[in-house]
Amino acid sequence: MDPFSSEGELLSIHNAFHQGQLTTVIEHNSSALAPENVIKAQVYKYRARIALGEAEEVSAELEGEDSPELAAVKALAAYTTGNTSIAAADIAKVISSSSKNGTVQVIGGIILHLEGKSDDAVALLSEHQGNLEAVSLIVQIRLCQNRTDLALKEVQAAKRWAQDSLLVNLAESWVGLRVGGEKYQQAYYVFEELAQAPSTSTAPTLVGQAVAEIHLGRLEEAEVALQQALAKDPKHAQALANAIVLSVLAGKDNSDQLSLLRNTMPDHPLLTDLEQKSELFDRAAAKYAAKITA
Amino acid sequence: MQTMLTKFESKSSRAKGIAFHPKRPWILVSLHSSTIQLWDYRMGTLIDRFEEHDGPVRGVDFHRTQPLFVSGGDDYKIKVWSYQTRRCLFTLSGHLDYVRTVFFHHELPWILSSSDDQTIRIWNWQNRSLICTMTGHNHYAMCAQFHPKEDLIVSASLDQSVRVWDISGLRKKHSAPTSMTFEDQMARANSQQADMFGNTDAVVKFVLEGHDRGVNWVSFHPTLPLIVSAGDDRNVKLWRMSETKAWEVDTCRGHFANASACLFHPHQDLILSVGEDKTIRVWDLNKRTPVQSFKRENDRFWVIAAHPEINLFAAGHDNGVMVFKLERERPAYTVHQNNLFFINKEKHVRSYDFVKNAESLSMLSLKKLGNAWIPPRALSYNPAERAILVTSTADNGIYELINLPKDSSGAVEPTDTKRGSGTSAVFVARNRFAVFTSATQTIDIKDLSNSTTKSIKPPTTVNDIYFGGTGCLLLCAPAAVILYDIQQKKTVAELAVSGVKYVVWSNDGLHAALLSKHNVTIVTKSLEQVSTLHETIRIKSAAWDDSSVLLYSTLNHIKYTLLNGDNGIIRTLDQTVYLVRVKGKSVYCLDRQAKPQTITIDPTEYRFKLALVKKNYEEMLQIIKTSNLVGQSIISYLQKKGYSEIALQFVQDPQTRFELALECGNLDVAVETAKELDRPKLWTRLGSEALKQGNHQVVEMAYQKLRSFDKLSFLYLLTGDTQKLTRMAKIAEHRNDYTSRFQNSLFLGDVENRIQLLKEIDLYPLAYMTAKAHGLTDECQAILEASGLTEDQIHIPETGAPLPAPKAIVPTHESNWPLRATSQSFFEKALLGQVEALTIEEPAPIASNQLDFDEESKEEMSRSNGNLMADDEDEAGWDIGEDIVLEEQEGLITVDHDDTAAGTSEAELWARNSPIAADHVAAGSFDSAMQLLSRQVGAVNFEPLKFRFMEIYQATRTYLPASVGLPPLVNYVRRTLEATDSRKVLPIIPRDLEYITTKDLQAAFATMKNNVLDEGVVLFRRILHTLLLSTVKSKNEVEEAKKIIQTATEYILAMTIELERRSIEKDPAQVKRNLELSAYFTKPQMELPHRQIALMAAMKVAYTKKNFLSAAEFASRVLANNSSGKNAETARKIKVNGERNAHDAIEIEYDSFAEFEICAASLTPIYAGSPLEQCPFDGSKYKPEYKGSVCRICNISSIGSPASGLRLLAQ
Repeated sequence: MDPFSSEGELLSIHNAFHQGQLTTVIEHNSSALAPENVIKAQVYKYRARIALGEAEEVSAELEGEDSPELAAVKALAAYTTGNTSIAAADIAKVISSSSKNGTVQVIGGIILHLEGKSDDAVALLSEHQGNLEAVSLIVQIRLCQNRTDLALKEVQAAKRWAQDSLLVNLAESWVGLRVGGEKYQQAYYVFEELAQAPSTSTAPTLVGQAVAEIHLGRLEEAEVALQQALAKDPKHAQALANAIVLSVLAGKDNSDQLSLLRNTMPDHPLLTDLEQKSELFDRAAAKYAAKITA
Repeated sequence: MQTMLTKFESKSSRAKGIAFHPKRPWILVSLHSSTIQLWDYRMGTLIDRFEEHDGPVRGVDFHRTQPLFVSGGDDYKIKVWSYQTRRCLFTLSGHLDYVRTVFFHHELPWILSSSDDQTIRIWNWQNRSLICTMTGHNHYAMCAQFHPKEDLIVSASLDQSVRVWDISGLRKKHSAPTSMTFEDQMARANSQQADMFGNTDAVVKFVLEGHDRGVNWVSFHPTLPLIVSAGDDRNVKLWRMSETKAWEVDTCRGHFANASACLFHPHQDLILSVGEDKTIRVWDLNKRTPVQSFKRENDRFWVIAAHPEINLFAAGHDNGVMVFKLERERPAYTVHQNNLFFINKEKHVRSYDFVKNAESLSMLSLKKLGNAWIPPRALSYNPAERAILVTSTADNGIYELINLPKDSSGAVEPTDTKRGSGTSAVFVARNRFAVFTSATQTIDIKDLSNSTTKSIKPPTTVNDIYFGGTGCLLLCAPAAVILYDIQQKKTVAELAVSGVKYVVWSNDGLHAALLSKHNVTIVTKSLEQVSTLHETIRIKSAAWDDSSVLLYSTLNHIKYTLLNGDNGIIRTLDQTVYLVRVKGKSVYCLDRQAKPQTITIDPTEYRFKLALVKKNYEEMLQIIKTSNLVGQSIISYLQKKGYSEIALQFVQDPQTRFELALECGNLDVAVETAKELDRPKLWTRLGSEALKQGNHQVVEMAYQKLRSFDKLSFLYLLTGDTQKLTRMAKIAEHRNDYTSRFQNSLFLGDVENRIQLLKEIDLYPLAYMTAKAHGLTDECQAILEASGLTEDQIHIPETGAPLPAPKAIVPTHESNWPLRATSQSFFEKALLGQVEALTIEEPAPIASNQLDFDEESKEEMSRSNGNLMADDEDEAGWDIGEDIVLEEQEGLITVDHDDTAAGTSEAELWARNSPIAADHVAAGSFDSAMQLLSRQVGAVNFEPLKFRFMEIYQATRTYLPASVGLPPLVNYVRRTLEATDSRKVLPIIPRDLEYITTKDLQAAFATMKNNVLDEGVVLFRRILHTLLLSTVKSKNEVEEAKKIIQTATEYILAMTIELERRSIEKDPAQVKRNLELSAYFTKPQMELPHRQIALMAAMKVAYTKKNFLSAAEFASRVLANNSSGKNAETARKIKVNGERNAHDAIEIEYDSFAEFEICAASLTPIYAGSPLEQCPFDGSKYKPEYKGSVCRICNISSIGSPASGLRLLAQ
């Protein structure tokens, strides 16, 4: 039986991970798991810790581990701590030796995409055997490539065999937010469902709801959702970033929020993008400078 | 077997007769034990017992209008009773055996009785006489009833026959005599054939034979010519009659013992019958097939009765009586946002829009759902899929999942329905619903294709399920409610509340009301109990107000409860309704006919209480001021809650006011009311309260009123008021009260007086002692002399030092000090008008130092600030080119891309889809945006636009957290919410035209009013920059935007002129320039009040510089705009003065009659006909020499450069 299926014993840890309940993942009691699932649960726990900023500790703990899963996690930890080139080489090794391993595919896909080798990442991920996480990664990578059409195909294919899964629902709403129109509302329903249920309400799901609401033009509601998200996690970078966007849309001052984001996550795409655009503006404006006469 | 909805049950001996009261919730039950009971079946209480019959009482009936009832028993007697006086009025005797049934006539003062003596008799209860005896049956007459409209009687007898009697003759005989012609009389005499006894009053019309055994009961149909009878042959027979004949239609077979009674359903095509087989059976009148049956374990049924108006029946059996309904009257309904979805009596699905207050046409017909006689039970709505789930109790519970049609076009049969069996079904998520089956105790989670995705065993026995928040269910168990997480399959919370039948969620989803028969429990969304309340009358429904007040309906009231459990009655109800929505003063509900109704309520009381609970004093004050909130209940509520000071505001009655004032320590009111009432008791209480507070002035008043001299004296001593103390001493003297005098003299330290007093009362020893102690030797001597003694004759103990009179250190008596702090509540202050925030006052305008305009013009300004677009100007200085050439631009901005590789980001699409600069900015394509601006408005200086560029860019991208470990997904915010076609999508642009007009422009106008011109220039310029990068929705908005640009331009020009003038004002060499600039300031087209400011300023400057003629001219223009007020007064004076000295001291370059523009750079006039250049964006005018330089107004465009015009509209 698929351990992630609705009856499987890894369902809760899997869902917690993808709903952003990372501490729940770490605290998950995996002592009663079947032996073949122990390693999978462990991988989730390590990944959750990496996401929570404990990449160095994880790196240290995994020193010397050579099972493909843990080697992949180790590479991810190394990549996160900034040793990108070493990590990329490591993961390449792991991939070449065990490209059929689901965990290796997922983590390999992540690192390859981060390295800019998105097509390689998709190629690797496409070898999956019914692994929804691989599907969701492909969807995200396709969306990053602005290939909404391919992402949509991927989702629809996955829906045929895993309609009820959290990840498929999420991936579908990611696509929905690109497609727009009625899909905005549907994406909203997915996020709202997660964000408003007490057991699955987390900062990421609330941010998802808020983003959908922004796209639906419901700014006040979005603000409420973002406030809830920030109440759960005051330093949630995405919540802050979207709050900035929302302030601009509402014509409010956002300098405080900007500096807050700068402190929490100086390399957030919003900030780097703004910086680039600011330079771009100056460069573009300079072309006209000659024409300015008092 | 169907369960009936039993509403009331009584325990007693065998019930033989039953009657419903037509109006009140009462039922009469006559018992085999000789007692007649009167029950209130709604409250379940026994109202009265009537015990005068001897032996079983078999028949009983209420009079329709009079407070009477009639009974007949085995003592052969018929008794007429008054339930008001609770006694038997009289007895009608005549029958010779048991009386089986008695009935009142619906309009005549007649009683119809049937008896074992084989007769049927009609009695007049007014003159208490027997008026007719009908013979013919040759066995016991078991039942006889009047026809509800015609002059007919039907009777049943153990002789196996049913007889129909014509009593029109009897009616004629007993109605008022009318004059008749002889022929008429003859005709009448001949037409009426006499029966065998020559009796023409009542004649047998039909004899219906068909029952094989005795017939126990017979009834007429209320409207159709039908009769139904029940007999010992276990059959229920239906008969039809015409004018001339009657015949058997059909037989309903099913009872397996004697059928005791039967009747027609008053409103539906149904027959009900009861029998000794312990069953109640319901039959279809048209098909004569069984519809429903209900069995009691041990009790044989003897009688059945129907309520004449409402859907209620009663059946009497061996151990009492039961009142029941055949079907639920609660319509199936559900509310989503502003729509109510419900199923009406025709089983049509309809919706009701609370915003439009309109009911839709039928959307679907559910005729085929379940059984024809069973209405749908519940409805659940899924807004995401626009689907409904309907459940019905038919066939042990079924549900159907149906998609609603897009628009309601009539009662169409649903096409694509999915069904299954289950007790209840609710949507739990966008694409999931839960079906609960009571028999197997399982909950299936199904997807929209109706296939089960998950099956849950509830943790305990469950009666019903409700939506419990996303992904959760509320399971209603007999003694608890459980919040159950579907995904994790576990109980999240459990609350012990018994018998919960309905769950109503608040509009914000934070609270839910759990309704059981007699309790309302309010819980949070995580199932924590907030409050609970008990009702003796059944609770029917509930709906939440937007401010989290729960309104609920009982059988006969609408009530409310606040979250904290404070509750009260809002109004009474004539008929039971089901509340669905509360909006302001309107309560929307469905009645039992499933018709939407709106009830207007007065929410003042609960709003007030809510405000009180939330300590929202502003609102309370508002309510007190605007509505008449009175009544004992609100006062006692306030008192109970410790808000006596607020209660005080409502009370007129001085006694209550006094009590409340004391309670909250409001002495002023207490004094006022005490004066009014002037009762010693009140003064005593006031005195002690005032003493507690330290308010001795009030204490003094109280003591004065009470004439408590001693206390007064002591008070004066304490407060150090010697003057008054002296007066007290005088008063004591007046009153000849020696004790008091003594006391006062002690307090005052007035030794002489004391001695004098002691002497007066012949207490010479004491007087002597006193004098001695104070060393008053003369006085001592005088006393000795008076008493005829010498010093050595008396022995006195040692006296200590004389007691000095205490001296007041602080003159406390002058004022009340110290006072116990009585906190004056915010509320009281508000009432006294001390809280300024409550009154909406315009903040005082900043004093202007140079332009001084008075109050009036400010008022004018604030008034006209509201309608900005009033002035329509036709100057065509600025035009929007419709025909911009786009092709060449597209060449610039299209990025070639390989179709197999990465796709085009949405941002790039925006740039492709739009010729508007703002959209290009949103796309991040700053280069092309600048090119567009350069082409459209000759923009060259972009630096001031940077803020707007970045603002737009930032607003159009959201960051969605997706896979863990990857950066967020960037999504693009559109203004085209509906579009999915990649050629139509366009970005959202923050701060749209509406924002600019309502916020930015108002702020900018305010700077003019408040005379902060440099700031004004900045603000107006910002408006220009915002509009330069904007989009609008329609051509009208384009015009509007143009006007705003023009307005901003005029204001910037005006402000620049004035600022320039102020910079040179002090320079004596520039007097001429000063005057000129002040004149030019009046030129730009500003709003009237602002122009008035400019004119006043120009007038004053001109006047002070002795340019009287110009001043007069400005004055006339001021007057032309407004000829009253203080400004006009000044202007008038200046005008008169100016006309008297009609000359200007300094000649300036300004001619108010000449047509000219002002060059925005040099601030000098450009006369009509002279060459000029314009700014291609804002249209400001310049002298030709400024061509090519940056526009002084907008700071963006190059003056006089060729331009196609700004585009704001995409198409």
